[in-house]
Amino acid sequence: MSRDANQAVATPEGNPDPQPVSIRRNPLTTAVILAATFVVWTFLVFPAVWIFVGSFKTNETMFSATAFTFTLENYATIFRVGFGRFIFNSLFICLVAVVISTFVSVIASYVFSRKRFRRKRLLFGAVILGQLFPWIILVTPLFIMFARIGLLNSHAGMIFSYVAISIPFSVYLLVGYLETVPRELDEAAVMDGCSQFRIIWTIIFPVMLPGIVATATYAFLLMWTEFLFALAFLTRTSLKTMPLGLAQFFGEQSIDWGAIMAASAVTTLPALVLFLPLQTKLSAGLTAGSVKG
Amino acid sequence: MLAPIFFFLAFFYGYPTLSNLYNSFTDLSLLGLKRGGEFIGLRNYVELLSSRDFYRVFWNTLFWLTAVSVVLRLVLGLALALLLNSMTLRRWRLATVSRLLLLVPWATPPIVAVVVWRWLLDGRQGFVNGALQGLGLIDRPIAFLANVDVVWPSIVTIIVWNTLPLVTLTFLAGLQSVPPELEEAAEMDGAGAVQRFFHVTLPHLMPTVVVMALLLVFWTFNNFVYVWLATGAGPGLFTNVLATEIYIKGFIDFELGYSSSVGMVMAALMAVLGLVYFRFVALREFREIL
Repeated sequence: MSRDANQAVATPEGNPDPQPVSIRRNPLTTAVILAATFVVWTFLVFPAVWIFVGSFKTNETMFSATAFTFTLENYATIFRVGFGRFIFNSLFICLVAVVISTFVSVIASYVFSRKRFRRKRLLFGAVILGQLFPWIILVTPLFIMFARIGLLNSHAGMIFSYVAISIPFSVYLLVGYLETVPRELDEAAVMDGCSQFRIIWTIIFPVMLPGIVATATYAFLLMWTEFLFALAFLTRTSLKTMPLGLAQFFGEQSIDWGAIMAASAVTTLPALVLFLPLQTKLSAGLTAGSVKG
Repeated sequence: MLAPIFFFLAFFYGYPTLSNLYNSFTDLSLLGLKRGGEFIGLRNYVELLSSRDFYRVFWNTLFWLTAVSVVLRLVLGLALALLLNSMTLRRWRLATVSRLLLLVPWATPPIVAVVVWRWLLDGRQGFVNGALQGLGLIDRPIAFLANVDVVWPSIVTIIVWNTLPLVTLTFLAGLQSVPPELEEAAEMDGAGAVQRFFHVTLPHLMPTVVVMALLLVFWTFNNFVYVWLATGAGPGLFTNVLATEIYIKGFIDFELGYSSSVGMVMAALMAVLGLVYFRFVALREFREIL
């Protein structure tokens, strides 16, 4: 993510001052602008709202704009066919992967930010370019590698993959965050002869906590909705994650829209709850990789 | 201390890329993984480059999936940013709520975005068909995701809906960083709104636009999820793109060797783009943060 774009994404929340540019009160222009705004609002919000509305509708009224019969049957259905298992799998894989990826990324970001060593920019560049690496190219060779070492159809394989996809932007974000932490803080500790890990744990970690939480949240969201690797590496139903479980409702013959909407709602809700607070203090580069898949 | 991350990076990005390069010169099959593949030289690449299907897939990826959706998002993103930044919206106190609503599609996971749009675009009773029929614009329902005339615009719509907010917010912030004095000065000189936009605002925004365009190309060109979940590369293989081609060839036709060669073509293209990004964007940035 470029500096320009980063700041760009970071500022809209914090700059409410209206600029005193040409105030002309042409009623026609105003009407056009307001109309356009409402069209845009509808386009943006309508589909997402329907996930939640649809999840409480019976399949008979699913496609009706007006008829609405409230039901919890869709939620009952998805849990009856084992969606709870997918939720558990997703939670387990994502939480373990987030902890590992955050842990190794914090250490690496400290090294990149505070140490001087040869080929530092090259190594950092290699890490960052991982953000732009096309995942689809990795699917085939990773599948072969996993097949040979027995990581197919295993949560360990998924955790490994999810740690690897979140390291590049985690390191990038954390290095950016560390730049805002005064160096005097940890340099003093170096003078006092503290060990590296002690410095990271007792000095860096506490002051970096907001940055770490934001980075970990972002990593979690990325993993939570990841589809491609899960599709390729998990074929046993008992191991599948939520996105796969969701896609499974598209049957060959019939589509149970009620179940799909309920499963979509369950998938989206944590994303909304985590994403909105994160976005309000979105800092450098949190957008990188957000639309990958 | 860097060993842990490079362990993950080496075994996730490094080794697989190299092994993919080797596999692309073999006839490795999904059914003969243990046995391994025979070395067949450039035969996969010859087959690929002499296949008319491949050029169609390539065109789909380049034009429909990437070019159309990226240009559309840049233009709409800019228009929307201008709208959100307009004095009218501020005067009516709608700017903040607009920005908030903008977050909704962005927070929707791509897989869910595709799902809900499949429902909206359903070929028999979907909402979009209902609305168009109600307005008297069409007589019979359109199978948006199965009709070759409209399937690509439909997929692009899904992508735009899901990712436009990111582009818009980026541009909006760019707009707010335009020094007001510049605009005022231009206005004093008698520049109209259109002239001000093209001579003051747009030039100021250009670096942001270029970087955004580059990132969107990266994210979209390689994307698997939108096409795969919306149409499964269909009807037939009409909307097949490079990413779905890799998956279909490898995991449905079992031709891992051939699939790897498609991957290498893609990797080569991305490497060129990556160099551009590295040279013009990333390097400048490293100087600031390292």
